[in-house]
Parts: sequence; structure tokens; C-alpha cells
Amino acid sequence: MVTLRNGYIPETLAEALKIRSENQVVPYAGGTDLMIKAQPSSYLFLNKLSALQKVEQDGDMLHIGPGCNYTMLLNHPAVPKVLKEAMIRIASPATRNRGTIGGNICNASPKADSVLILYASDAELKLSSIAGERIVPIEEFFTGRGKTILREDELLTDIRLPLKGLDDYYYYKVGARRAMAISRVAFVGLLNTENGKISRVAAAFGAISDTVLRFREFEAMLLGKTLAEATALKPAFLAKYQEAIVPIRGRVSAEYRKQVCMNLLADFLNSNGI
Amino acid sequence: MTDTIRFRLNGEETESHSDPSARLLDVLREEFLLTGVKCGCKEGECGACSVIIDGQLANSCMVALGSVSGSDVMTIEGYSKTKRYQKLSEAYAEFSAVQCGFCIPGMVMASEALLSHNPHPTEEEIREGISGNLCRCTGYSAIVSAIKKASENGEGLW
Repeated sequence: MVTLRNGYIPETLAEALKIRSENQVVPYAGGTDLMIKAQPSSYLFLNKLSALQKVEQDGDMLHIGPGCNYTMLLNHPAVPKVLKEAMIRIASPATRNRGTIGGNICNASPKADSVLILYASDAELKLSSIAGERIVPIEEFFTGRGKTILREDELLTDIRLPLKGLDDYYYYKVGARRAMAISRVAFVGLLNTENGKISRVAAAFGAISDTVLRFREFEAMLLGKTLAEATALKPAFLAKYQEAIVPIRGRVSAEYRKQVCMNLLADFLNSNGI
Repeated sequence: MTDTIRFRLNGEETESHSDPSARLLDVLREEFLLTGVKCGCKEGECGACSVIIDGQLANSCMVALGSVSGSDVMTIEGYSKTKRYQKLSEAYAEFSAVQCGFCIPGMVMASEALLSHNPHPTEEEIREGISGNLCRCTGYSAIVSAIKKASENGEGLW
């Protein structure tokens, strides 16, 4: 471990957790969000901690080290295509070389493109401290824009991504241009069927509210239904979202965002024969 | 406790005593006087401050000094002493790919990062490779042609 006049460079995760428990530090993963403000800070430099840069598959569960940058994950064969499709649209090569998936999560922006995919795929996060660890569903991690339940003594140490059923996906990012675009609306939909019946529906919306939005109670309307039954339910299904989605006005209008969300949701159903 | 950050800069072991949370961009320009590293936006949008850290392109405005402890940092000043640079320089000149020049140090570093990972890029791959580097003069096509030409003329170098 290197203790700097202002900051720490741990060599192991155990050291990092100890420093985190004893000092007021800002965890530094890739720095690509933190350095925009570039305020003098006591950083806990995690960017060279190999313990946080592993990708390991355990059956249907993929464990993604939060310290992996986008370039590492884009080059990794075990990372599912839907997550890669979202990551390749993030910023530029230089940013993808430094920016990490864990940083994208902990920065807690509702526009975080990788977080959207993790919402739809029911990912879980492991939060560790010297006192122990807890595993939380990703949607319980965020309490608002830039706000999470991560305690001052904790670090995000594992992203648990269930791989089953991610091959059939619908993803669309609406940005101002191809590179360097911050999402105006991002949408991902997953729909799986088993024996002719819908076994999973997940529709997640990014960049329209304080957190990514997903409405499990609406998704449940289609579970267990055949595609024909789901088609009959489509107007009622869309009406629920029409009522529930209230986008925040940003650089583009709330009305525009709402319309795009509804268009994408309908197109997602269409693409699945509903 | 130490106030020293050690790293390699353009091939030589060096150290900095600046604040570890300082932007690498500012440290390179102000402490090491490497003013080929341009400051355009300070938010990773323009690529003018591009450097290569451990073989990977990075915007030095979005890198804290402390994060490069033990790393290898190359700026345009170091890169300009290489044969690869010569090939890029000739090709950029041939296509008049430089106008005001402000983006060019970053553009050249992005070109190097691209070719070092992909010696024979397609036009689309070249455009993707420089997608984080803004140029307000050339319209990019001359730069794309120059990178393509350098990859052909520099066969075997990358």
C-alpha cells in the first residue's frame, strides 16, 4: 500500500476496505466522471486493483469485477451481447479505456448505459466492508440521482449478472450523435418464452427519471400468456406505461422523451410478435 | 507517507510532487512543460489532451495523477521521436490533414492507439478510432485518408 499525502493506493482489496473503513476517501475507479469536477480530493485509487478486474463465469451467473473498464469487457468473450451493445455506444475509445462498469454504477446517473442493462437482467451487487458483505438487487441500490445505499465504509466488489435469457433482447439508445452521446432515452427489453408462453418480460427505461425505471407489476400482466393473449392485452399494457411514465425535462422535452419511450416499448413488443 | 508519485514519462522514470488528485493534463503541461498536450474541454469530450497510458488511449484531463503511479505515460513529445510518428506525420502532410493544428497532437495519439491495436483498419474502424477527437477545421476526411495511408506506408511498423 502507498499512503500519499492526499490519497491512498492499496495493493489488495483487504487494504482498500481497511482504508475505506478508517478514512474519509472517495473511491476512484476509472476517474472519467470524478475528474470532470476535479476537486482536490482524498482518493482511494482502485484502478490498479486486479482483484476488482476479474470476469468469472459460474454456471449461468457471470461475476463482473466492478474495476473492469469498458474496453476489457467489450473484449471479453463471456460478457453478453446486450451489455456489449450498450457499452460500445458509451463515449469514445479513450473514455472506454478508463471508465469502469463499477464507476458507472456508483456514479448513479440515470443515464448510465450499462446500468440499464443490469436492471433488465436482474443483476445483483455485492457490497463489501471489513464488517462483512451484503448482496442487493440493482434496483435497491439506487435511491435517487447520484444517490445510492453504499455506506461510507463499503465498496462495490462484484456485479452478479444472470446470463440466462439475455440473447433475445431489444436495445435502443437515443443520443444526439453516434460517438460521445449522452442518452436522451435508452431502452432495453427482454422477452423470453417457454413452451409457447411468456416466461419473462423486462422493460427498462434509462435517462428519463432520477433512476432507471422498470415496472415489474406491469410486466407481470404478460407472464404466462401466449403471444396471442399478450397481443390482446397490448393496449391495456401500453396504457399502464402511458400513465406511469413521467419523464423529467432535460435538454430535450419531457413530451419528446415520453413519446420515444412509448414508441420503443411498442416496437419492442412488435419485434416479439405482439 | 509520501508526496511522490513515480511513473514513466516518454520512456524515462520520473516523479511528480503535485497533488495526486490533480488532473494529469495539468501536471503534464505545468510541471513537465509538455504543452503539446492541449487543453480543450476538461471533460473528456474533445480528445485534445489525448495521451497513451500503458498502451491505451486516454484523455489526460480525466485522469488523476495518482492513478498513473507505476504507469507508462506517452505524450506527443515522446511519440514524435519514433518511426511510427514519422509515417503519420508524412501522411498527415500529404493529405493536408492539418489546418489550425490544435487537435492534431491528440489526433496523432489516437491514430497511434488505433494502429497499435489494429494495423490495417477499415475506414469505419478509423472513424471509430478517432471518434473521441474533435477537429473543427478539416471535416475529418483528410485525417481518415492520412491514417489509412500511414498504415499502408508503415507496413510492419505497427
